[in-house]
Amino acid sequence: MRIVYDGSFEGFLCVVYAVYYKKIRIQEIFTHSSFSLLSFDAYEIQTDTIQAKKVLNTLHARFEKTHYERITHIFLCDSVHVEKELLEYIILGFKDQKYLENITIPSIFRLHELQKEFFRLVHKMYGFVRFVELEDGNLYAKIETKFNVLPFLGKHFCKRLASNNFIIHDIKRKLAFVKSEKSTQMRVVQSFEEPTHSSDEAHFSNLWKVFFQSVAIKERENKKLQQNFVPLLYRKYMSEFS
Amino acid sequence: MKTFEKLSILADSAKYDVSCSSSGSDERIKYGGIGATHNSGICHTFTSDGRCVSLLKVLLSNSCIYDCSYCINRVSNDRKRASFSPRELAKLTIEFYKRNYIEGLFLSSGIIKNEDYTMELLITCLKILRYEYGFDGYVHLKLIPGSSKELIDIACSLASRVSSNIELPSSKSLKLLAPQKSKETVLGPLIIARDLSLKKSKKPILMSTQMIIGASDDSDFDILKTASILYEKALLKRVYYSAYVHVNVGANLPIIPQSTPLLRRENRLYQADWLLRFYGFKYDELLDTQQQNLDLNLDPKTFWALNHLEHFPIDINKASKEQLIRIPGIGIKGAFKILKARRYKTLNLEDLAKLKISTKKAKYFILDRGKYQKEVPLYKENLQLALLSPSPKLIQPLLFDENYAALSGEI
Repeated sequence: MRIVYDGSFEGFLCVVYAVYYKKIRIQEIFTHSSFSLLSFDAYEIQTDTIQAKKVLNTLHARFEKTHYERITHIFLCDSVHVEKELLEYIILGFKDQKYLENITIPSIFRLHELQKEFFRLVHKMYGFVRFVELEDGNLYAKIETKFNVLPFLGKHFCKRLASNNFIIHDIKRKLAFVKSEKSTQMRVVQSFEEPTHSSDEAHFSNLWKVFFQSVAIKERENKKLQQNFVPLLYRKYMSEFS
Repeated sequence: MKTFEKLSILADSAKYDVSCSSSGSDERIKYGGIGATHNSGICHTFTSDGRCVSLLKVLLSNSCIYDCSYCINRVSNDRKRASFSPRELAKLTIEFYKRNYIEGLFLSSGIIKNEDYTMELLITCLKILRYEYGFDGYVHLKLIPGSSKELIDIACSLASRVSSNIELPSSKSLKLLAPQKSKETVLGPLIIARDLSLKKSKKPILMSTQMIIGASDDSDFDILKTASILYEKALLKRVYYSAYVHVNVGANLPIIPQSTPLLRRENRLYQADWLLRFYGFKYDELLDTQQQNLDLNLDPKTFWALNHLEHFPIDINKASKEQLIRIPGIGIKGAFKILKARRYKTLNLEDLAKLKISTKKAKYFILDRGKYQKEVPLYKENLQLALLSPSPKLIQPLLFDENYAALSGEI
């Protein structure tokens, strides 16, 4: 059967619910957004929080920690469609946890590789995020990334910027990680106005540019190598490239 | 002088120091203000020559009383001189750090007045960072050769990593190119730091050093031998190799027309260094007094394998991890994938491709389903030829390319 769901994590858990409790056999899985024009001949899975919770609790209880976490990491890779692989992963996992390390099964290997790709991106962004200081002394960064790395970035910067407040703004997903004295949370960004920078900001970002240019050894220029390490798509918010 | 000009001069003067890693330090919070270190190290950007920028790498001052012939900051060079005050540099570090430009500070200096005076200035800067700002990020400090034991002790307690460049792999070359330095003075700080941190019996301080490649006639064998002794005896974490860049003119210095082969040599040395540190190779396996230099066209592992064909071919379904990582083209990660996957099935060459392990080189050194490949016989000369021959390129036809039309029969 072809099925369509809303694309959310809860929605996907309801797909799992349908497989086990309604005995639906699934051939293809679509999300609403990718399916709008072909919406004939497909069974729609309604998202239901109670069902989703039930599945999540079962997964939590029955799956080993690393295997369980892989599911959530994969779901943060929101720009690729691997629902079928993930469903197979869950079905195999319920049969026997040891399948989930068997990288000779193509779907399992795909998810292992995707998880690695996800963490490579997380790691890259640990370095490539650039904060600007705002008028009120808070730090503010914009990001645009292939996968949803915001929760990991937030956690990382909470550790290192313990004495500062900061906001990391995911432009495409309209999400923000906000850390203040009182709380730490992810928020949906409804509307947004470009904030004003502090009076020192231009000074230090210019110093950074000066430093960046001075450390390069001209005799060894290799722009292609540089681009391998910092592909153009990451440079949008990196002040040294603007 | 304005901060802009200082930063530009002092970063420019420090750029020939290649070390810029921020990895391997523990993640404990000690000073409790801003900052943290990350075990695997983080690159914050890459320069136009393709090097990772992780640390704010500057000299506190580029004035120097020494006259080492390879060094851009030697006293006899007519260069613009500049100095940061320790407080100025500490502030700059924090401002850069909180904007996530850097992982921390890499601090070195030319020798101002004398060794102890310079070391004290560096320590002052570190103290401001650690105690006033509570900075818990990464700080790499260059130990000044010839400074006192007490100062080195303080430096080691404040820094995440310390280093002292031995610059040249033999006493002979040092005497020729840096007559004011000797093997004893350059190694001195590292030995003191090692002894001090062993006495305190906590985790020893991380240390590194740097050698210049191609400024003297030392062979790769000499260089790798020195490096492995340092790894084993002096507890060094990293040895860096820096292809000589021609910044000065001098009677004892080599004249190098183009730097490409030297860069290639640097690259091969790094590859060999990895083999020493992570792949269980010994320096005298890779090279010996007969074969003193690495091959520029082949990576050191392939080069070793071709000279030791008695170990090959290897059966990937039976070999141990130690054997697997000796197969050319298979790295640590590849070996782990093989070990993981072969628990479930017997692997063949296609399976390796499916696991995204490159078989371009490996296929000549392994058994596929118990058989050795038939295209190239297992002899050094044949394999060398096969490994060095360029892979056939696909024809990229231009639109309306007549020759291509002739080839494919289209009009």
